[in-house]
Amino acid sequence: MRSDRSGASLTLKCAAIGGLLFLHLPILLIFLYAFTTEERSYQFPPPGLTLQWFAVTWNRADVWTALSLSLKVATVSTAIALVMGTLCAAAMVRTRFFGREVISLLVILPIALPGIITGISLRSAFNLAEIPYSTFTIILGHATFCIVVVYNNAVARFRRLSGSMIEASLDLGANSFQTFRYVILPNIGTALLASGMLAFALSFDEVIVTTFTAGQQSTLPIWMLNELVRPRQRPVTNVVAMIVVLVTFVPILAAYYLTRGGEDTAGHGK
Amino acid sequence: MTFAVEFQDVSRHFGDIRAVDHVDLQIAEGTFFAMLGPSGSGKTTCLRLISGFDQPSSGHIRIFDTPSEGVPPNRRQVNTVFQDYALFPHMNVRDNVAYGLMVRGDGKAHRHQQAEEMLSLVKLDGFGDRKPAQLSGGQRQRVALARALVNRPRVLLLDEPLGALDLKLREQMQEELKSLQQRLGITFVFVTHDQGEALSMADSLAVFNEGRIVQVGPPQEIYEKPRTRFVADFVGSSNVFDPQITIRFANVARWSSLRPETVSLTPAPDATGVLARGHVRSTRYLGSSIRVTVDVGGADITAQHPASAPVPQPGAEVGLTWATDALHLMDQD
Repeated sequence: MRSDRSGASLTLKCAAIGGLLFLHLPILLIFLYAFTTEERSYQFPPPGLTLQWFAVTWNRADVWTALSLSLKVATVSTAIALVMGTLCAAAMVRTRFFGREVISLLVILPIALPGIITGISLRSAFNLAEIPYSTFTIILGHATFCIVVVYNNAVARFRRLSGSMIEASLDLGANSFQTFRYVILPNIGTALLASGMLAFALSFDEVIVTTFTAGQQSTLPIWMLNELVRPRQRPVTNVVAMIVVLVTFVPILAAYYLTRGGEDTAGHGK
Repeated sequence: MTFAVEFQDVSRHFGDIRAVDHVDLQIAEGTFFAMLGPSGSGKTTCLRLISGFDQPSSGHIRIFDTPSEGVPPNRRQVNTVFQDYALFPHMNVRDNVAYGLMVRGDGKAHRHQQAEEMLSLVKLDGFGDRKPAQLSGGQRQRVALARALVNRPRVLLLDEPLGALDLKLREQMQEELKSLQQRLGITFVFVTHDQGEALSMADSLAVFNEGRIVQVGPPQEIYEKPRTRFVADFVGSSNVFDPQITIRFANVARWSSLRPETVSLTPAPDATGVLARGHVRSTRYLGSSIRVTVDVGGADITAQHPASAPVPQPGAEVGLTWATDALHLMDQD
């Protein structure tokens, strides 16, 4: 028992509040400047507040192009990651073979490597294979790290799934598809949903790998980057940023709650 | 004659390890058959070969005279009670039990009625709505049993099903399993490393060692006439004599086994009929009896002594007697 608990807590509180402000104040500023009337510079305080930038953003075709490309890339690469990541995790957990640890490391590597390395290597690979840059190459680039997210979550959940449960299902007359549908999926479902949302969020705001794998197209984050150097209708960028924050925040929060609540649904072999 | 399960020269090798090595075995229909052996002796692998989760490296397995090659687990008339029960945690007890019927495509009403019937068979009426996590170990065991029986298998495989239960519950389940088998009349193949369990439940048992079957027979025969010293040692406890010692008692240079309960102890070493004499080395109290180990020079002989009789002190000189046919001659391996 420490008696100086209350004394230390004031300093701690200040430090905690300071830390939180440091992290989140810039985001609030971005939100604030989405409403400013000044379109060329970020002067503080904003000279006035307006909602006109929402209407301007709505009517800009380039925003819509970038947004739809981002959504398309995120959706497809998440879908690829869900299938490949789950299959890979299943193979890793269910079997023992020579080189298993190496493959496991290779799968995780893309997320440990700096994005710039992934980007450069993918770009050289595409060049060597003479694959033209397109939506397809962006999706491939994103899938590399999306797979890792799904794989990690799925492996953890598969480990809690007793192996004899799958055998029990087969033993009782179920075929592989039924076993997957009725036994495996209900037990790994929340993990897949959560990792899918995380993967989607990661893909949606990815910049570095996209820079190397995109041709003339711009995903939403790339579009924002380009927009920053151009002093035209600046608050539009802020409006888009605000939407991006909201769009990615919801799935991440949902993912957090899903994986947390999933603890009592799987496992307990005995 | 048709056997429920028949092994014809079956081997299963994992690399250099011979998990199952040239096994021939016939399991008669409607019997309670036990596979007994220490861990790693190949008994669980044999079970997996019957269920179809593993394939023999060589040899043939016939189930009700039908070759089992290429028949996947889900198309065999065989169901398994798994060691860890393997209940589906996301389903309630009723859906767990009805799973086999559900994947077969039976209607919900029929499924539920059958599941309730099976649950009442294993004395779990009214537990249908619970989740496996809400059950005790013994109850989960019963659910696993009901789930395996709902498909009306012709052979039920049980992989050390009582291993995780405490002693009292285990004894109770042993009796229930035995009576369930008699009522249903289907073949039970039971894997265990507990020799007491195998002896008390099985109609017939096979003793496994290092991937081979050492002896097959009814429990009484296995216990009274062990074929090798491994069986004598593993099934019950026994005084095992090498040929040099045997020759002192039986005039043949072979391995032999003498069960402690066939040996009686007399405090007078010179009495008539005494076959061996020596000094008491140690005594072990077992509740209903006392095991007395006597050093007879070159060998120790353990005798089972009634707990009510006076116990000789360590060091005391005693005589040992037994019926001449109690000394059972056997092979080395």
